[in-house]
Amino acid sequence: MTLPILPTTMVGSYSMPGWLERLKTDYFARRISRHDLDEIHDCAVRSAIKDQEMAGLDIVTDGELRRDNMIDYFIERLPGIHIDRSSKKFYYDFYDSEVLGKIPMAALGLVDDFKFLLANTEREAKFCITGPHSLCKRVRNKYYPSDEALATDIARVMNMELKELVKAGAKLIQIDEPYYSGFPEDLSWGVKVLNKLVDGVNATIAVHICYGNRYGKPSWEGSYRYLFPSILEAKVQQLSLEFARRGGEDLDLFREFSPPFELGAGVIDVKDQAVESPDIVAERIRKVAKFVPIEKISVLPDCGLFHLPRDIAFAKLRAMVDGTKIVRKELGR
Amino acid sequence: MILHLNHTRHESAAASTSEVVSTFLTLLEEGHLSAAQFARLQIYLDWLQYKQNFREPLTVMQSTASEGGQSPSMEVRIDSRQVSPGCLRALVQKAIQPSVPDSSQGRIYLEDFRSMRSSIVWDFNQLYWQRLKDWERATGKSYERALPGGVSDGHHPQAISDSARDFWKLLKDLETRNQLPAEIFVLEIGVGLAMRAGMWLDRFSALDQENGTNYYPRVRFLLGDYSLSTLERSRPAVKKHIDLCSFIALDALDPTKALSFLRHKVLHVHSSNMYDNLPDEEVVWRDNRLYWVQVRAYIPLEEAARIASASSLALEDVVQTVNRLLEVGPSALPDPEKGMAFWMQIWKAIRFEERLVDAVELSEVALPVGLSYVQMEDILKDAPGDLRLHLSSGALESFRNTLPLLHPRGYLHVQDIFVTDLHEYCMGFYGPGKLDGSMVNWVNGALLREVAHRVGYDLHFAPFPYRAGSKTSILYTTQRE
Repeated sequence: MTLPILPTTMVGSYSMPGWLERLKTDYFARRISRHDLDEIHDCAVRSAIKDQEMAGLDIVTDGELRRDNMIDYFIERLPGIHIDRSSKKFYYDFYDSEVLGKIPMAALGLVDDFKFLLANTEREAKFCITGPHSLCKRVRNKYYPSDEALATDIARVMNMELKELVKAGAKLIQIDEPYYSGFPEDLSWGVKVLNKLVDGVNATIAVHICYGNRYGKPSWEGSYRYLFPSILEAKVQQLSLEFARRGGEDLDLFREFSPPFELGAGVIDVKDQAVESPDIVAERIRKVAKFVPIEKISVLPDCGLFHLPRDIAFAKLRAMVDGTKIVRKELGR
Repeated sequence: MILHLNHTRHESAAASTSEVVSTFLTLLEEGHLSAAQFARLQIYLDWLQYKQNFREPLTVMQSTASEGGQSPSMEVRIDSRQVSPGCLRALVQKAIQPSVPDSSQGRIYLEDFRSMRSSIVWDFNQLYWQRLKDWERATGKSYERALPGGVSDGHHPQAISDSARDFWKLLKDLETRNQLPAEIFVLEIGVGLAMRAGMWLDRFSALDQENGTNYYPRVRFLLGDYSLSTLERSRPAVKKHIDLCSFIALDALDPTKALSFLRHKVLHVHSSNMYDNLPDEEVVWRDNRLYWVQVRAYIPLEEAARIASASSLALEDVVQTVNRLLEVGPSALPDPEKGMAFWMQIWKAIRFEERLVDAVELSEVALPVGLSYVQMEDILKDAPGDLRLHLSSGALESFRNTLPLLHPRGYLHVQDIFVTDLHEYCMGFYGPGKLDGSMVNWVNGALLREVAHRVGYDLHFAPFPYRAGSKTSILYTTQRE
């Protein structure tokens, strides 16, 4: 499938409905069964895919609605990580988890999620996972000599899963590494770990780096300047960064360092319920285009839409698509 | 009959409990109370936190179904603090006469039944803050002198000094991590005369100088209040720091409306004694059903007649004059001195008649912004079986609408009076009360805590350690991981 110029996509998650939050919490309270929850998830994911298609996105995701949060879905699949299952009262809470020994190789079961996505859309599909650096920051490390060593071993296990995803048809994979922004001092080894993660993975790889979206608010503040020059070593094809909420000051960095990556530009503020107009979106895209060649820009929200009400999330996606069409029209493409 | 003892005052409990039991048994024996009424009777022995309040010593409340029919239960609430020994029987006998609860005999009503949040008493509260100078002149004492204890914990020098020091430490940490913003935003909501703001800036400036950190010039101190005249009056207190200060008229219920350009940028937000004065309402949770407490403000007829006479008014003109007072202040009467006296006497005399409205479905209840029905159900699920609690609507909205302003490392400090555990509502009655000419309600901190959790904050309540006997607590937020 050929994508248009300025392809539009989500960062990953779609609006989490209140009723699904409640059912997830009911599952943790043992009020509904795993089987029922799986069926509920299937319905919710189909609905999220349909919404993206109706909004007009070129590339869709599964909305990540099966996930409780960006950490636990992966942590509980990694063998050898001990989880205190009583530590979660509300589905969105993080588990308390610790690693006590070397993490063995194992399948993580993400391929089924991707196959479900493929089976329910004819659009291009993107699969998103949380990266090893972010994961290692949420696990109490009682075995490895350093966070870097733990993250490296997580990358080793996840690398195999990424290759399985490619075998299943994944062409576009996004690695989420928001914790880079909270621990900029880790970046040099974080990029090495990232490269181990994607080593030999024959797909277009994007890395999404934001300033956090936990509970719909930023976890850190600062400038993307910390990414440079270390990030230039990353063996990925796209950087996905947030610019709508934070403004475009950091776009200068693309002129200063001329990174080889495409840019997934965040043009929708996911921390504000006010819906942008298509004109504002178009203006934001034009601004990005002053610093990055238009052929190398993808159009995205700043981060996941998880915390937005569904009607607002949908309206924002639609505005993003309509704003992108304005710019395409100006370009005659 | 079920007797609920809602306070822990030992002597009062011992005295009033035995009198209540013997009174109601006697009324039963004498036939003033039927066996069916007796069987469904619920009696609550309260101790009201505020001597000046809206309650009669004894009130009878019928539960009213939403379709207008009356449920069979009868609730009698007794303020142990107001009831004199030996007087209970007469009060009860008068109150349980079938005609009394719905009769206007003996009362001049100022409004129809409604949620307390939209009661006329909040107009009185607003008038008080608009005309504070007039009130202070008439009473001969400042607002602060009228507080219990005669001082405001909001201005305690050591508390302010510690606050400035804690904030300086945060800035130092941010600088160490190379995350200190170029502009350091600090917001105080409800500034009063800005005494605290002035002292805080003095202390912060001194600390900055002692340590040579040079943070002070980067501070942008925002003084927020809904009243422009209050903001104007606050300027002298921060005169030394005026270049760093901005005076911003804002809606206390939604500070983000005026300050949306500072979303995620403010490092410290403070307010003192503001939440307890924001519009509030109450609900009752009983037998797994939620009841809305509706109120109807009235003046006892005898009081109204006395006030009318003293104000040279006809009795039938009292309600109209009250409405005029709320529009134009004491000049509602030709002689403003008399207008002032009229205001103060009416305020002192106002009482609430109450009724419980069955909410039937929780979704029918207009909950404050930020509190979802799912959350409310979850909160009540673990609550004691029979509970009357504040929704703290205004405080909750203000709180919820302030959080988006906070920088990822920012925090909110609120010095106020809090109920921190729902069970405390079974051991006290925390308002509404009258504090001078204003309203006061303790704030439902337990509810705030639940709301905060869902938006990524942990709430902590620390007792105010700087003055022995203070009822103030300090609410502070930390980021929830």
